[in-house]
Amino acid sequence: MEDFKLRFYTNFIKDDRYMYLVTGLGNTLAITFLAVLLGIALGFLVAIIRSTYDKTGKGKILNALCRVYLTVIRGTPMMVQLMIMCYVVFGNYNMSKLIVATLAFGINSGAYVAEIVRSGIMSIDPGQLEAGRSLGFGYAQTMWYIIMPQAFKNVLPALANEFIVLLKETSVCGYIGMMDLTRGGDIIRSRTYEAFMPLIAVAVIYLVMVIVLSGLVGKLERRLRTSER
Amino acid sequence: MSGKGEVLFEIQDLCKAFGSNLVLDHISTQIRSGEVVVIVGPSGSGKSTFLRSLNLLEIPTSGTISFEGKHITDKKTDLNRYRQKIGMVFQHFNLFPHKTILENLTLAPMKLLKKSREDAEKEARELLARVGLEEKAGAYPAQLSGGQKQRIAIVRSLAMHPEVMLFDEPTSALDPEMVGEVLNVMTDLARDGMTMVIVTHEMGFAREVGTRVIFIDEGVIKEENNPKDFFEHPQNPRLQEFLSKII
Repeated sequence: MEDFKLRFYTNFIKDDRYMYLVTGLGNTLAITFLAVLLGIALGFLVAIIRSTYDKTGKGKILNALCRVYLTVIRGTPMMVQLMIMCYVVFGNYNMSKLIVATLAFGINSGAYVAEIVRSGIMSIDPGQLEAGRSLGFGYAQTMWYIIMPQAFKNVLPALANEFIVLLKETSVCGYIGMMDLTRGGDIIRSRTYEAFMPLIAVAVIYLVMVIVLSGLVGKLERRLRTSER
Repeated sequence: MSGKGEVLFEIQDLCKAFGSNLVLDHISTQIRSGEVVVIVGPSGSGKSTFLRSLNLLEIPTSGTISFEGKHITDKKTDLNRYRQKIGMVFQHFNLFPHKTILENLTLAPMKLLKKSREDAEKEARELLARVGLEEKAGAYPAQLSGGQKQRIAIVRSLAMHPEVMLFDEPTSALDPEMVGEVLNVMTDLARDGMTMVIVTHEMGFAREVGTRVIFIDEGVIKEENNPKDFFEHPQNPRLQEFLSKII
């Protein structure tokens, strides 16, 4: 017991080492949050372009561009994309690491969000589009008022899952020298030569965040489901 | 509103092909204000495609449709504005499942006719009362029976004050005992002078409420007549055969 207390002290309290975890956690949350926003914006845009092409045949060139984006992003590892963003795209600029990471993760997430949202749009009965159009709504209005709210509800669990994956995936940030939660724990390990305490602490923090997020999504899902019965 | 008896739709040589399959083969007819036109025919005959062409849910391959003297098949037509004047009721209701009944009725009037929520809701409640579903205002479509859904679908269209109502097999997806309640609403609507074009298999309804019956087979109008002569003295052999099978 005394031994445990001492180890806890050296790993977290001494020299304010817990600050590595606090700062790291802050960065992890910031990157995740901003990347989720970027991912949603990109993902919805791409999904709408792709499903509009599927339904009406319009926007051939845009659709082709979107397909290239999806293929490249989903066909290469996240870590490689992150390093390319940092050392190739912004190699000659002194860009903030936070922005570099946000862009890399947001663009990556957008590709997955796009396919999730597109499957949601395509799952809506074509009769809904016809009903909207026959009332006099334009294509975009029908999408906005009628199709998207239903599609969003259908894909919410898949979408939430994507963001939980994203939260955990930001742990590769250390490769571009950014101190996220994982890197913070790793720095403590390199100072104290002890792996157990800092790494378990990091794992527990991720786990708690994921559990809280899953709980929130469950609540939202139940609220959106009121119309089904 | 157009005067009674005035030509609303002028359809000339309407053709529609899906790939190499010609579904409508040079259809020409007129639909006048106040008419209740019932379209019958075997399945796959093109009758639904014809109805859906009238509000351009199907784009004709060739031929013209004009409405109140304006070519709607013209590329320059404001389709959305045109469709506001044409109500449409579908076989599968197509209510918006994520919205309450009241919201189903008020969405289009508020967004498209720019009515205030207050006005739109007031009118929606009047329409609901008209079909005896006032107490369902706060319910969601999933909580209603098929017959109730279809009555809601009809008043959802009426909330836009259409000049014509199109019905695409409105009772085909219903349990037999619910057919009557929907047909009653349609009969009332016809009595009020609404111009209606109806694709249906309900021959009793066609005979009693219709002012003209059209028989479409293989994409062609094979016969059209007043209901009495249509059912009692059919001329076309294909129609005679069709009627002998279903009555």
